[in-house]
Amino acid sequence: MRCLLFISCLLTLTACSSSYKHLQKTPGDIDCIEKFKPDFTKALYYTEVNIIGKHLSGLLLIKLMPDSTTRMVFSNEAGFKFFDFEFSPNGNFKVYYIIDQMNKKAVITTLRKDFEIVMMRQINMQHGYMSRDKDSAYNYYAFPQEKGFNYYITDTACSKLIRMERASSRKAVVKVTMQDYANGLPDTIGIMHTGFNFDIGLKRLETPIH
Amino acid sequence: MRMRKLILSLLFTIAFFSLNAQHPGYNAVTDTATFKHQFATASQKVNTIKSDFVQEKNLSMLSEKIISKGKFWFKKDNQVRMEYTQPFQYLMILNSSNIYIKDGQKENKISTKSNKLFQQINKIMVDCVKGSAFSNTDFNVKIFENKQAYLIELSPAAKTLKEIFKNINVLVDKKDYSVTTIEMHELSGDNTTINFINKEINTSLPDALFAIH
Repeated sequence: MRCLLFISCLLTLTACSSSYKHLQKTPGDIDCIEKFKPDFTKALYYTEVNIIGKHLSGLLLIKLMPDSTTRMVFSNEAGFKFFDFEFSPNGNFKVYYIIDQMNKKAVITTLRKDFEIVMMRQINMQHGYMSRDKDSAYNYYAFPQEKGFNYYITDTACSKLIRMERASSRKAVVKVTMQDYANGLPDTIGIMHTGFNFDIGLKRLETPIH
Repeated sequence: MRMRKLILSLLFTIAFFSLNAQHPGYNAVTDTATFKHQFATASQKVNTIKSDFVQEKNLSMLSEKIISKGKFWFKKDNQVRMEYTQPFQYLMILNSSNIYIKDGQKENKISTKSNKLFQQINKIMVDCVKGSAFSNTDFNVKIFENKQAYLIELSPAAKTLKEIFKNINVLVDKKDYSVTTIEMHELSGDNTTINFINKEINTSLPDALFAIH
């Protein structure tokens, strides 16, 4: 019985321990991550979404509008539109259109937060700080959010973006990779949710917007 | 009296342009029965269609066009294969009540029986190329014409389609009654146009093209 109690306590403590507890605040130039901010003036990505056994694919158009808002339109290959979102520089967000099947608060909020971390929008340099794990080869640039943190993880020289994490106070909720930058745009973007089976993959398409 | 005549003629002019403003350059077809008969007769002679297509997605608010290209095959009675080749690879096969989709390495089989929206979209596609769009009860149909083409305007009657499409226009070549263009107009003002080019009618097409394994 004592043994069972001990194991329960151990499991509880393990479950509550933070994945980020090993990090220590370190002085450093947090502005260095600005160079990884994608230049979404106009970009088209072939996009695949897998969510709890369902699969969607299509084209995601991202465009910076003259009023400095960023529009994001996702439609399937035959032109059938799934959603049309607007992200404002001041953090505001507007849904112009979303199909009925996706029109749920939790879905919209999740997509909004996923793309905000990709666009590196919700980062306030004044509140950000750098952390490092003494055993790790990575820098963690942490930016407090309304709930939890956004982490931008680079090599120690801040020359390569390893991944980004949207995290609660204890663990990563979403892991994002952006790879093979060309002209300020990542060629591939991967968004993976850790808590449930939901991931988004984007592959840049070069030619076809006019 | 003169004033009355002037007002009347002005009203007629406005009414005339209002009628035609819907589809500039087209006039409404009054004898729809003859057209339906001719279209159905011509369609009956079409067993297969092989064609290239260019699809243009217009995002009105963003002032952007996304252009994709591919190949299209149709075989009687209701087999359609659409293969997008640029700027991405995407394959869709409609065969009876089943849809097969392959994007990248991912394969999907959907039974249209279990998905009403897919069923309706599937029906539009097949009806358009088969020439039976008039009998599709999901739509109210109006017909217009100019010298070269007929324009069949399909306005959704069914609720699910009404929420997506304002109307779907099918352009039919007067020479051979073949479909040249399908325009899908969304409520938001966006639209998707598919132009069929390099058409080959009644060329031999193997069943394997439409096989869903």
